[in-house]
Amino acid sequence: MIAPDVGGGFGGKLEVTPEEFITFAVAKKLGKPVKYTETRSESLQGAHHGRDQVQRLTLAATKEGKVTALHVDLLANMGAYMGLVGPAIPILGAYMYNAIYKFAAYRFEVKNILTNMVRTDAYRGAGRPEATFAIERLMDDLAVELDMDPLELRAKNWITAEEFPFTTVAGFEYDSGNYEAATARAKELFDYDGLRAEQAERRARKDPVQLGIGISTYTEQCGLAPSRILGRLNYIAGGWEHAEVRMLPLGTVEVVVGTSPHGQGHETAWSQIVADKLGVAFEDVEVLHGDTQVAQRGLDTYGSRSLVVGATAVLKAADKVIEKAKPIAAHMLEASEDDLEFRGGHFWVKGTDTGKSLAEIAFAALQAHAWPEGIEPNLDSSASFDPDVYSYPHGTHLAAIEVDTETGAVAIRSYVAVDDIGKVVNPMIVEGQVHGGLTQGIAQALFEEAVYDENGTLVTGSFVDYLVPSAADTVDYVTDRTESPAVSNELGAKGVGEAGTIASTPAIVNGILDALRPFGVTDIEMPCTPMRVWKAIRGAEDSETPSEAQPHFDAEGGQA
Amino acid sequence: MIPAAFDYKAPTSLDEALQLLADGGDDAKIIAGGQSLLPVLKLRLAAPELLIDLAKIGSLRGVRDDGDAIIIGAMTPHFEVVGDPLVAEHASLIAKCVATVADPQVRHRGTYGGACAHADPASDIPASALVLDAEFVIAGPGGERRVAAADFFQDLFTTAVGADEILVEVRVPKYTGWGSAYEKFVRVAQQWAIAGVAATVRTEGDTIAEARIALTNMGPTPIRARAAEQALAGVAVQPDAVAEALSSIADGTEPPTDINGDPEYRRHLVSILGRRAVLAAARS
Repeated sequence: MIAPDVGGGFGGKLEVTPEEFITFAVAKKLGKPVKYTETRSESLQGAHHGRDQVQRLTLAATKEGKVTALHVDLLANMGAYMGLVGPAIPILGAYMYNAIYKFAAYRFEVKNILTNMVRTDAYRGAGRPEATFAIERLMDDLAVELDMDPLELRAKNWITAEEFPFTTVAGFEYDSGNYEAATARAKELFDYDGLRAEQAERRARKDPVQLGIGISTYTEQCGLAPSRILGRLNYIAGGWEHAEVRMLPLGTVEVVVGTSPHGQGHETAWSQIVADKLGVAFEDVEVLHGDTQVAQRGLDTYGSRSLVVGATAVLKAADKVIEKAKPIAAHMLEASEDDLEFRGGHFWVKGTDTGKSLAEIAFAALQAHAWPEGIEPNLDSSASFDPDVYSYPHGTHLAAIEVDTETGAVAIRSYVAVDDIGKVVNPMIVEGQVHGGLTQGIAQALFEEAVYDENGTLVTGSFVDYLVPSAADTVDYVTDRTESPAVSNELGAKGVGEAGTIASTPAIVNGILDALRPFGVTDIEMPCTPMRVWKAIRGAEDSETPSEAQPHFDAEGGQA
Repeated sequence: MIPAAFDYKAPTSLDEALQLLADGGDDAKIIAGGQSLLPVLKLRLAAPELLIDLAKIGSLRGVRDDGDAIIIGAMTPHFEVVGDPLVAEHASLIAKCVATVADPQVRHRGTYGGACAHADPASDIPASALVLDAEFVIAGPGGERRVAAADFFQDLFTTAVGADEILVEVRVPKYTGWGSAYEKFVRVAQQWAIAGVAATVRTEGDTIAEARIALTNMGPTPIRARAAEQALAGVAVQPDAVAEALSSIADGTEPPTDINGDPEYRRHLVSILGRRAVLAAARS
């Protein structure tokens, strides 16, 4: 199986599709190579959809704003067929409805419903975006009910920095976090107080363009997954990862990994880690993946797990290389192992400038002329890593939303994302993940919707009707990070692949509603299209998206 | 997807193109910039046997002065229309409408004439021709004829151009000194108009002397808002007064229902967009 640099995953690459089996069957039957391609429209109908839930939520709280209980009752649309992970998506979310908060009581119920729609399955965040959306919307509603600042309300309920590690009402132990720090930084970057003042002023003067502040103090669960926990949840797969580090005789390094990137820059980040650890040049590390002739052991790339689980295996394998090289170095340097220290890619005899580099030791292994007896002549090492606990990225996102009350149009004026994803390996990659994630979550809030007509036909069958944003539809995101290293892995990393997507959807919808509270608007279904927003302002109850496609591609057109 | 196989001819003269069209009959199709036709071919909603490309007929491209009108060759790409000094001086509304079409790549391939002949109800371009009372010059086996914009756009994707005819150029009367604005409402940047209002206005001091308004995607063809135009004459350039004059702007429209809006919403939208367009035009 060869799967080199495939495109973005976002859940779609997790699935085992009927089309794949058909392709294999045809190839077997014909004895020839077979290629499967599909059109965009076929992809929109054939590949799985995501998120489709009806959420019935009940929150109990004291008048002082202390939440005492949460009841979540879900109807989750599976579509016409069960996807690979589809039925479990609501369960992945089940542990996250309590989010960053200390709820005393929590009840979760879900009914997975089969319908005649496209099947649903994991989509960037997989269960956690649904949970985060629900609780963050609900916390805002509670703040309105109690006439409290929504950030203050959250602070009354969240786990404080001193309380980590903290076992939540859902039964998971959060290893680290600092919600106060992320929130303080976000408020500062956002000019929270200034924007609240402007909001009051616009409300007073009945400006046709109203300002809303959208808040999302999210957390999520990454580092999937401790295999034992997966077993308890009846997942068939385990949650470990595997890596090999080969120290080549000329000083270069080959790293073989089971995780396979689809655009996340694993080659870069894994090379950084190995270069730092082994003291070799970044450009001397080659990462091999995506070919079962090369990399036989490994599970998957999904759920923001590659760095946390996969790269930890890389780190452990690199450690083993150093461990393996040590007795050889001692032999070559005619010193005791206790007298050696490893620094900058060399074993040094302590207190001297006598040393041997890993490259020299690897070359000595190739020759094996003067190799110590009883030790195999190579430095290659492998390691598997299975985390004991999940990791829990979190952050505070604030969005300034302008709603044109005349047309219902929604514009994002500014967006601040302060994320705590633990230790960062490559800031540029993180920035890219955050930007893309934010845009994807914003698209859910504002643009993307699978619409069916009364006959059950999917009418959003092309990008004419299924709207996805381009760069022109976003703003310059203001991003920053606070750092509470994860304790679940040596890197201290928490994962960042889904954070933006999970956080941004509630931030946008909360912002729209915050702008429109004076109009008595309490809810708008996603995506918050201009028509839905306008109708909500007018108090209309019916704001279904009309289920008719646009007629642009007409065969009868003239000279075009 | 890949279109069905077709023959391709790129004649260098209009006569040659007309001959090819006559010979090809129903199986032949004219291609201009291809920005709407190619998706249709790729989706196999159409499978012509012959495509006649007008790109090599130099006389069909460019903007020129013709006394009391400017002439936009049918094959003039959008980006040339947007940047043309004659258009800017005498028909600035056209440049503003065309500038909102799709993205720069599309505007470099798509043509003014092609977009008019395709007559997509959500296209920004037909309204710009209608509102300025442009004339369409159509060549056929029997020679050339002229059709007023009001008669050119007949229905959804249907124009006065016959099966054996080719749109040659668009003659636009000069509106020198008129202000203009196009308000296009979209959800994402690259989208056909959910609704649009094209307005051009001649002011005298702080008063609107004359106004011309056309609506995009409020029916199968672009629609002139004539009652609103008349109501605007003599009205102060002031939001409330303009809004009141535009109370009839959606009269006679037949807005479509689709994913982006129902007729009620679209009628409301053009009342808001109309006010904004007229005020912007009067102040431009």
